[in-house]
Amino acid sequence: MAVLELTSAAGAISPRRRRARAAASRIGGGIAVLIPIVVLSSFITYCLGALSNSNPAATILGQDAATPAAVAHLDKVLGLDKPLVVQYWDWLTQALRGNLGVSYFTQIPVSQSIAQRLPVDLSIAITAVVLAVLIGGTAGTFAAIHRGTWFDRGVTVVCSVVTTLPAFVVGIILVVLFAVAAHLLPAEGYVGPSAGIWPWFEHIILPSLALALQVAADIARQLRTSLVSVLEQNYITGARVRGLPYRRILLRHALRNASGPALTILGNDFPIMLAGAVAAEVVFSLPGLGQLILESAQTRDIPVVQGVLLVVATFVVVVNLVVNTLLNWLYRTNEDGIGA
Amino acid sequence: MNSPGNRTRTRTRTTIVGPGSVLRLPSAKIAVVILAAVIFLAVFGSVLAPQNPLSINANALYQGPSLHHLLGTDYLGRDVLSRLMAGTRLSVLTAFEAVAIGLVIGSPLGVATVFLGKWFDFAANRVADSLMTLPYIFFVVAVTAALGNGLVQAMCAVGFLLWPGFFRITRAATLEFARAQYVEAAELLGASKLHVIRVHVVRKVLPTMAVTTASAAAAALLAVSFLTFLGIGVVPPAPTWGGVLSSDLDYLSQAPWAPFIPGLLIAITVGALNALADAFRDRTSKGTLPVADPVIKTHSTLEVLEVAGDRQSAA
Repeated sequence: MAVLELTSAAGAISPRRRRARAAASRIGGGIAVLIPIVVLSSFITYCLGALSNSNPAATILGQDAATPAAVAHLDKVLGLDKPLVVQYWDWLTQALRGNLGVSYFTQIPVSQSIAQRLPVDLSIAITAVVLAVLIGGTAGTFAAIHRGTWFDRGVTVVCSVVTTLPAFVVGIILVVLFAVAAHLLPAEGYVGPSAGIWPWFEHIILPSLALALQVAADIARQLRTSLVSVLEQNYITGARVRGLPYRRILLRHALRNASGPALTILGNDFPIMLAGAVAAEVVFSLPGLGQLILESAQTRDIPVVQGVLLVVATFVVVVNLVVNTLLNWLYRTNEDGIGA
Repeated sequence: MNSPGNRTRTRTRTTIVGPGSVLRLPSAKIAVVILAAVIFLAVFGSVLAPQNPLSINANALYQGPSLHHLLGTDYLGRDVLSRLMAGTRLSVLTAFEAVAIGLVIGSPLGVATVFLGKWFDFAANRVADSLMTLPYIFFVVAVTAALGNGLVQAMCAVGFLLWPGFFRITRAATLEFARAQYVEAAELLGASKLHVIRVHVVRKVLPTMAVTTASAAAAALLAVSFLTFLGIGVVPPAPTWGGVLSSDLDYLSQAPWAPFIPGLLIAITVGALNALADAFRDRTSKGTLPVADPVIKTHSTLEVLEVAGDRQSAA
């Protein structure tokens, strides 16, 4: 990026400030790239509502009250008589202020229903990422260290099997194993963390595991491949010749350099995890965003559908920005010779 | 299995693979047999089903596998084997519809964008990027909310989200060949753009497209199973793979083994498609298959990253 070269060239400032500035400009550049993407995807989202042949005013008024005059009046109140682009602009500027409109049927603000459901999905998504990194990272690292052993082959086989199992199948298998057969954990429902950490965790762990397994398999496979190639590098041999302890070489040098591609996989898998979250919500009867959009789709409650889609797409964009920034930091520090 | 010398030769040998060389791999053979069986079921499944998939039998609820019902019965006493056989056509056909839509929009666009100038390329890339930020399941549900709850709408939506994957991979492959010296030579000799595309580009891009098609088919099949599992696009009594699974979900305490049958069927088919994609990838020499990019590129350094897999493009 050109901005970056400029800031690095200004060598008079201290290296620490230079790095901070470079990082800031990188993040700024990343956001600049994302703006057209957000605008386009939100426009597609908004157009979906406009494409529908549903007549919101008539639906709200009900069959008896929906005289042409009343419909025209309500269209005007809702802003539905304006050109599409103007409607979109109004919607987007309102959305940026946190106002996503109100549901056609319940009159509850969309942002309020989303805020109510979001903790459920965030709980299982964050727990799933932690589980995926722990399981996948450990399996991938050990498979790479013990390359060619039965453990390595076992990890490869398990990973190939797990990647073919969709989250909703994994979820059902987990319910059968842990709730129906063993009665160890509850099969469904959600309890907020305010009711206590253990009840919350008890309800969260199975859905999170259902989400995490596929991502864990991807991480394990990718980490194994890149760790194997990093461990063959000359600087690893050099470090071993110098007598550095193996654990230190592995953690400080090899894993650090090998984790980039695995991190990319985590970013790429995020949309898959969202689909998995919907599956988990259905299998475990959790009141999350997936249930919200499914219910609203059935009643054709367009503002709610648009709001959920926008929020979810924003999450994908933000996660990508975070992953890309982390990757950039990982590779930059290595280039500067600070990390490795 | 092979001697080392043999292995290096196969890896560097050719850039264009025919179906024959792919089929020599044992994993590909198994995958093709499984897929052939699934296609056979899709064509003849509803005819060959031993019993009527819709006939209800109150005397035979939640039965385990027996001679009369090879895979048992469901909560209405319907024969599970017959329901799965009859449901194959809808599940497979809709998945292929989605892949076809993605392929038909994405691949020609990916080839064309290289030759149509910078601005077109920029615009097409940004549209592809933005579509990739829309998680498929939320998008499909939103589409069915807007256009009505039908499998055709749902499949168009899935296909519409698949094209950026085809677009990116074809574009990357085309870029590589379009800058080759022999293409430059052909252009200097007066070859038209169309001729260059047809003779020098399309033929080389085909193996890449085969890989993408196989993994996109796997993703589409998963999507269809999941959508029918959610009850999107199907009218209840009609059997589908996902539908059988979702009806089993409500009766886990009566028949805890039931979901494993449709689950296994979905997993095996998806696994076979993935194995076929892997086989194509292994048989193609390294340079011809560009690795997938991160979903959104925000930093220039990402270009040097080796990102394995084309999962995102498929999902």
